[in-house]
Amino acid sequence: MAAAIETKKLTKSYKARSAGRVNVVDDLNLIVEEGEIFGFLGPNGAGKTTTIKMLLGIIYPTSGEGYVLGKEIGDMEVHKLISYLPERPYYYEHMTGLELLKFYGSLFGITDKDKFIGLLEKVNLHRDMTKTISQYSKGMQQRVGLAQSLLNDPKLLFLDEPTGGLDPIAHREIRDLILGFRDEGRTVFISSHELSEVELICDRVAIINQGVIARQGKLTELLKGGRVEITIDGIDSADKFLTDLKIADSNVRSLPNGYLLDIPENETTGDIIDAVRSRKGNVISIVPRKKRLEDLFVETIGDRSGANK
Amino acid sequence: MRPILSIATTTVGEAIRRRVLLIILLIGVLFLVVAPGLGVLSARSETTVLRGMMLGIIQLTSAVIAIVLTVYMIPNEIERRTIYTILSKPVQRYQFLLGKYLGSVFSLGIMMLLMTTVLLTMFAIQQSSNLGVLSELVKAPIMYFVQMSLLAAVAIFFSTFVTPLVNFFLTGGLYLLGSLFNPFFQTLSENNNTPMVAKIFAKIINTILPNFANYNVQNPIINPTQQIGNETQYYINVTIYGLFYIGILLVGGILIFDRREV
Repeated sequence: MAAAIETKKLTKSYKARSAGRVNVVDDLNLIVEEGEIFGFLGPNGAGKTTTIKMLLGIIYPTSGEGYVLGKEIGDMEVHKLISYLPERPYYYEHMTGLELLKFYGSLFGITDKDKFIGLLEKVNLHRDMTKTISQYSKGMQQRVGLAQSLLNDPKLLFLDEPTGGLDPIAHREIRDLILGFRDEGRTVFISSHELSEVELICDRVAIINQGVIARQGKLTELLKGGRVEITIDGIDSADKFLTDLKIADSNVRSLPNGYLLDIPENETTGDIIDAVRSRKGNVISIVPRKKRLEDLFVETIGDRSGANK
Repeated sequence: MRPILSIATTTVGEAIRRRVLLIILLIGVLFLVVAPGLGVLSARSETTVLRGMMLGIIQLTSAVIAIVLTVYMIPNEIERRTIYTILSKPVQRYQFLLGKYLGSVFSLGIMMLLMTTVLLTMFAIQQSSNLGVLSELVKAPIMYFVQMSLLAAVAIFFSTFVTPLVNFFLTGGLYLLGSLFNPFFQTLSENNNTPMVAKIFAKIINTILPNFANYNVQNPIINPTQQIGNETQYYINVTIYGLFYIGILLVGGILIFDRREV
């Protein structure tokens, strides 16, 4: 599969108030394959939006290379094939939804009114197309933003916090639209804080922190290694029992009537159950806990050493 | 060309809805309406005072509108992030800047046209509906339009690299300097009694400063005894001067804006 986005040591630095320069994005090596939904994650100020702006040619890299759909970043030909939905977008409030699409369409030379109406139907705004943007709710503004981002039938969409500040229903609507983009063969590059959303829709993710990629890979692989919580009672010393089993990376919490064992998913749960029973203990419950993107995110940001993994 | 026109049209749509501009315009129009009443109070010829006052109102109101309209033009687009959506489309930065400038000029044109219509209507009611007199009167607003287009270009140029507040004072200051002091520097540079150093200094300042005073053509209109030698030639010359200066400012603005981080 060809790369929709590829960066090689892409760096953006700014003059700091104190002496010297600060690398907001530092030696970024990123590959986004065509046709996938790629999640670009990181805490505030990690360099997500700066990266997107560089890829869009809105700001200029200090060093390194970047390619979008096989062409160098900033190439105007690429702009005909991509689209961008900025974080908390603002649109000209005096325009109606239809006028907004006409305006953005005119920048591509598109004047087909039926196309505009079709796009508004797609984002479920056709009934409100004559209302002005100032009358739109946040969710409606986000949806009209998505409609404008589809005007040129883009191969690659950059979505910066597409569900930020929206209610659960709007979340779901936007999520379904994004999943639809993948079904249509488009590549979607999402920058987001909404980890649960990203986990539901992304194929691959990269976690950036302080301008450096800390993790990158397929979500299914990155989220391998869940945990199992076993509640037991009737055991005198759970700590000794665990030491006997030689389990590393486990936690034991005292409960009023027993213990809660938090063990890695790959350990043999059956062995533990047997061991508990052989000590005349009882297994009260076994709860497998899948590794969540949030766990990975906290784990990555928490122990970030700054090196690409 | 298409993106420039689209951006210009949108800029007009937005400008004519900006409350602050509409309030300034409304104040200008109100003054134009009450001006004939004030002219009566003057000891000088009522017609002379009325012409001077009404043209002064149009010029002042247009200058305030031009500055307020354009100093926020680019910074607002960046702050509200509308620029990102536009620049992510196949739109070059120069097209964006030119679209914004042309939109400002069109908006100014619409607002000045409204004020000129009020001026002519009030003048026709109060003084004379003679077409010759009215067409003579309309020359000044046309020249003011060129002046305001130049002023808007100055503001757009500065807006590519300074904050709106600094831009407001820079553009306003240049307008005052170019209107009030340019004739002074010109006289100084041409006077044989001026010391050489002062002469060179005056010449440089006179060349660099946009000569807004060129467009203050109200005197011959107010006092028909004062005439410009070859009027048509003069108007053509100062219009070409204005367009040339606007061109330089826009090219400068584009060069700065092209490398600017937004």
